[in-house]
Amino acid sequence: MSNFVALHNQYHQQLRVDTQLIESLGATNNMVPVVISEFLRLVVHYPIVFTKSSETGTFLCVALLGFESGENLFWNNNQWQGIYTPLNIMRQPFFIGQENNQTLICIDTDSRTLTTGQGEAIFDSTGKETDYLQKIKARLAELLEGENHTQEFIKTLLALNLIMPMALDISFANAQQQRVQGLYTINEERLAQLDATQLFTLQEQGYLQPIYTMIASLGQIYALIQKKNERLDNA
Amino acid sequence: MNKKITSIVIVGGGTAGWITAGRIAAHHRAQDGNINVTLIESPNIPIIGVGEGTWPTMRSTLMKLGISETDFIRECDASFKQGAKFARWVTGTSDDFYYHPLMLPQGFGKTNLAAHWQAARTKEQLQKSFSAATCFQEAVCEQGLAPKLITTPEFNSVANYAYHLNAGKFSTFLQKHCCAKLGVQHVLADVVSINSADNGDIASVNTAQAGTIEGDLFIDCSGFQSLLLGQHLQVPFIDCSDVLFIDTALAVQVPYESEDAPIASHTISTAQDAGWIWDIGLVHRRGVGHVYSSRHTSEEQATERLQNYVGAAFKNLTVRKIPIHCGHRQIFWKNNCVAVGLSAGFLEPLEASAIVLVELSASMIAEQLPACREVMDITAKRFNDTFRYRWERIIDFLKLHYILSKRTDNNFWSDNRDPATIPHSLQELMQLWRFHPPGDHDFTSNNEVFPAASYQYVLYGMGFETDYRYSQHLLQDIAVAQEQFAKNQKNIEQVVRSLPSNRELLTKIHLHGLQTI
Repeated sequence: MSNFVALHNQYHQQLRVDTQLIESLGATNNMVPVVISEFLRLVVHYPIVFTKSSETGTFLCVALLGFESGENLFWNNNQWQGIYTPLNIMRQPFFIGQENNQTLICIDTDSRTLTTGQGEAIFDSTGKETDYLQKIKARLAELLEGENHTQEFIKTLLALNLIMPMALDISFANAQQQRVQGLYTINEERLAQLDATQLFTLQEQGYLQPIYTMIASLGQIYALIQKKNERLDNA
Repeated sequence: MNKKITSIVIVGGGTAGWITAGRIAAHHRAQDGNINVTLIESPNIPIIGVGEGTWPTMRSTLMKLGISETDFIRECDASFKQGAKFARWVTGTSDDFYYHPLMLPQGFGKTNLAAHWQAARTKEQLQKSFSAATCFQEAVCEQGLAPKLITTPEFNSVANYAYHLNAGKFSTFLQKHCCAKLGVQHVLADVVSINSADNGDIASVNTAQAGTIEGDLFIDCSGFQSLLLGQHLQVPFIDCSDVLFIDTALAVQVPYESEDAPIASHTISTAQDAGWIWDIGLVHRRGVGHVYSSRHTSEEQATERLQNYVGAAFKNLTVRKIPIHCGHRQIFWKNNCVAVGLSAGFLEPLEASAIVLVELSASMIAEQLPACREVMDITAKRFNDTFRYRWERIIDFLKLHYILSKRTDNNFWSDNRDPATIPHSLQELMQLWRFHPPGDHDFTSNNEVFPAASYQYVLYGMGFETDYRYSQHLLQDIAVAQEQFAKNQKNIEQVVRSLPSNRELLTKIHLHGLQTI
């Protein structure tokens, strides 16, 4: 269960975050929402694709971690196997909340990363923010700005018909077949047809680089299949 | 004489007028100046706004008009319709109902499902009605579920669907779209007289406010008055009241009890002693009405039936009385004038045939628009043959709903069963179906309106039994049928788990919209 409350330097002064546990919160996520600003860091490991929110039907960018619900192929031997972990994992157990049109930092007080023993303090004994909290705030700020930026990016791509469904039919080493549905990617054919003005506008908006990063990241699907095959081998 | 048809003039601006204008303008790209499409609408005559129910064809019509489904749903109070539930049509008891869903029976065509279903029912191996046993859509409707998910793209579906819509808002919506996007010229004026050419064609119409308007082809969408085809060209009206007795409608708009009240995702048609009551769920209200035969009941009696159906809310509602003349023009296209919509005819709304006939007419006119006057008479003849056939098949299909009823509470039902009131074409089909179920071979025209499956749903929904004693040798594939029944059951479990309620999905579409991919 989760219990989100606004972070407060008195109520939460004693709390510490066991940072060793943070990544374990994503152990059963097969995808995680990501923002444009982290694309270049993500592409070292993850396929970056679009999917639709099951709640609203609107598109979002995600890093693909596994092929079926509950499967995170980067979570192995109780560890996140990778040199970069997406912001939406690393910001935990903190969240951005909205109250009276103001954004504020919230914390999931039920999170198992919270302790009163070992861990990073959020506030010092005088109630002042620790360096750790400063770092968290920077991550949350990147996410907040990044989400708006990413939504604008998606809107632009949709208007140009640059997003298309992705057919992913995978055969794993043990001959197991899997069809992954509900993923979308850049329509390269359509991208190649854009005229000079449209390309220039995308360039000016700073969208050309993330577009090509997403295309390049699709190569990571093979790495992900490899991970799955290794897991099937060991099973 | 041999001049390209370039100027299309549509008289009348209801659903019929705007759909026809839009289809022609979109198909011939009027905005590029290929042809002129002018719609003359009276600023003084209100829209009748018949039929709030459509067929799944509306999805392709909207797509061809280049309309966003999200905009359409938001601006026309539209909701999803997955067929019709016919309650109390057979015996009149409260547990008497069947469905005419919008999807084919599971595995239709693979085996004689109707025969196997009937055999299993007779041996009491299967309790389910024909529609429940063969089509998962009935369960979707019974549970008030939507035909798709918020992640399903515009116009795509999990279960086939049509719409319920607010006809008044739909006309306004189409008007805006046709004028802004498709290059239709909108003239607000009253047509006061018509000028003929030597060959009897309509040369032009005189209007009170906008002078004389000439055209190569005139489309009569003037409603019941049938200004051009009926009044001016004197094409006779063929009355069908000897077959279909419904002649009056009493309509009310019923508010929901709460903002989050469920919205039925099908039309509910509940039989009464001398007619039936429609119940259509839109987003903000229900449209409810009693259509009846005034030869079999009084207005007071009918009002009471409607009141009983609606309940306590009825006393605050305004009842609108609408006369219905079931019938159609003898021909629909004469000289250079073709009628679409009520000016062509009207049948009782039991199977929501009004708007679909408009779509079919608009589609044929748009796609087969005569190149020049010289060939127009050939197109006109084809159009007349096609639509005469369609009107007759619809009349047959509507009548089918009445002749199998076992109700005896009013002569309305026994008169309906009187063979003298049943068209010969339907009687022949009924004879054939004594020994085999309706199949595609019974409907071989390119212009069929209802598929064989629709006849099966109604026939077996109403308890008709086909006699298979001479065809036992064709019914050995029981395993195939069992497989289809099992598949249907599996489908039911799957969709019931995943689909949101109709209200929930519509609320989300208003909030977030549907994606185009």
